[in-house]
Amino acid sequence: MEQLIEQLKSQIIEALNFEDMTPADIDTDAPLFGEGLGLDSIDALELIMLMDREYGIKLADPKAGKAIFQSVRTMAEYIQANRTK
Amino acid sequence: MIFDGRTIAVEQTGEKMLVELYRRYVGDYPKFFKMDTLCRLGFIAAEMLIGAENDVPSAIILANRSASIKDDRDYLATISEGNYYPSPALFVYTLPNIVTGEIAIRHHVQGETSFYILDTPQQLDAIIAATPFESALAGWCECSTKDNFYAKLQLIWNN
Amino acid sequence: MVYCIGHSIISPLGEGSQANVEAIQSGRSGLKRYSHRFADVEPFCASLFDTPQEFVPLCIRSIKSAILTIPGETVPCSSADTIFILSTTKGDHLDLLTPAKAIVSHFGNPNPPIVVSNACTSGVCAQITAKRLLEAGMYKYAVVMGCDIQSRFIVSGFQSFKALSPDPCLPFSPERAGLNLGEAAATIIYTSEPQQSGWRLMAGSIHNDANHLSAPSRTGEGAFRCLMDVTEGILPKDINLIGVHGTATLYNDAMELAAIERAGLKDIPVSALKPFFGHTMGAAGIIETIIGMLMLKHGTFIKMLSGFGGVNAAIRLTCE
Repeated sequence: MEQLIEQLKSQIIEALNFEDMTPADIDTDAPLFGEGLGLDSIDALELIMLMDREYGIKLADPKAGKAIFQSVRTMAEYIQANRTK
Repeated sequence: MIFDGRTIAVEQTGEKMLVELYRRYVGDYPKFFKMDTLCRLGFIAAEMLIGAENDVPSAIILANRSASIKDDRDYLATISEGNYYPSPALFVYTLPNIVTGEIAIRHHVQGETSFYILDTPQQLDAIIAATPFESALAGWCECSTKDNFYAKLQLIWNN
Repeated sequence: MVYCIGHSIISPLGEGSQANVEAIQSGRSGLKRYSHRFADVEPFCASLFDTPQEFVPLCIRSIKSAILTIPGETVPCSSADTIFILSTTKGDHLDLLTPAKAIVSHFGNPNPPIVVSNACTSGVCAQITAKRLLEAGMYKYAVVMGCDIQSRFIVSGFQSFKALSPDPCLPFSPERAGLNLGEAAATIIYTSEPQQSGWRLMAGSIHNDANHLSAPSRTGEGAFRCLMDVTEGILPKDINLIGVHGTATLYNDAMELAAIERAGLKDIPVSALKPFFGHTMGAAGIIETIIGMLMLKHGTFIKMLSGFGGVNAAIRLTCE
């Protein structure tokens, strides 16, 4: 799980172009949207694509992303349970 | 790079030069790193001009020859056959007028924003002459690859 | 003010403005479901030509068809008094300038063409540009042409935005679930030479929300400012119809409604044409202007659009 969390942080930094940021800068339990990393709606769509590309998870309904993208930890837990690759 | 007739020394070239200028003249707008090269180019030029004049224009009117071709190609790479994962973060930049939107958001410009695809800067001059505005950020903003770009912007006041 | 002297729509619904209006009036829609039109793309609903069209020949056919509707006269296409203004977002396989040059060269026009690339508002912005250049006396005629051909590029992008409805779109409905794309070519020809009758383009306005690149402002700030500009000096009771963008995405339609209410125009009928044509991008502002003029016959018509990059545009046309 910890390994998946670290890998996921690197993938988020890469996918969302967070220059100058390292995995250590992202708090595993901090909110991804709003206060925390301050992601917006296009970032949410990019995270949906990341889950498809890297883990073979297809999220048809973007609203379902709300619960999954609460934090890096909730995202990793969802990936762990649903990954197809 | 030439600013107000003065040549500004830069250490980097291409895309890295835009990052260098961002760090030197802006530094507090992380959204910059999400932008495509055309937007980074227009954004930096706009920051320097608006910062120097300390005056936000009421309109933004830009033009180029190649529209958003650099980002169009980047987006195409995400939908190649056998590796089809269309990127929304790239797709949003596949319109050239997005650079006018980025500058408008940064400076809260709620006047006109327009983008034209033209052959020559003289055509843009004619369009600007016919466009009503109090003040405008106007000019050429072109980007064909990440290291191949050109911008010439100015602030214009209509009295 | 400038005068509309000719127009044409070529869409999957028919060839020529009249054929398109008749199709709409008989309740026909160009929307169909496609499963295999483009590789890898998920099934989608759109209004596409049965036979895939080439961009430049379609544009030329559209302009010729518009010229044929001008009563008793033609447009001096090969004269320096005529400017060609093209509204498109993706042109011919991502190239905008080369096809524009091919079109003007086909008509022997000596002026370099102007391409307006202001996202979904391009078709209305191109008409505003025409009005300005004609009023400034730079030209006497403006051929304003809008066209977009759908592609794997565009459909995949809108799917990545989760913006497409799998079913025919439902503008302004509480059940609306996204937009449908469409392809078409439309031309409208304006002149500064005074005409005794017909539609006149009276006012035009462009404003940015300065809010978000892809999501409309919740308060409709840019659209509201456009509406205030184009209705300056007239009363709400004098406006007969507002042609909205009506993409049937959740936020666009809510934003347009907010802007119309803020501008005090909520009692005026609105028309949304995407259920017939889909979102034809560069052609949308021109098609929807022409249909508004034909449906209304006379009176005052406002056409508004908004698009990516936070840009909004509106025009006012009148026919006495």
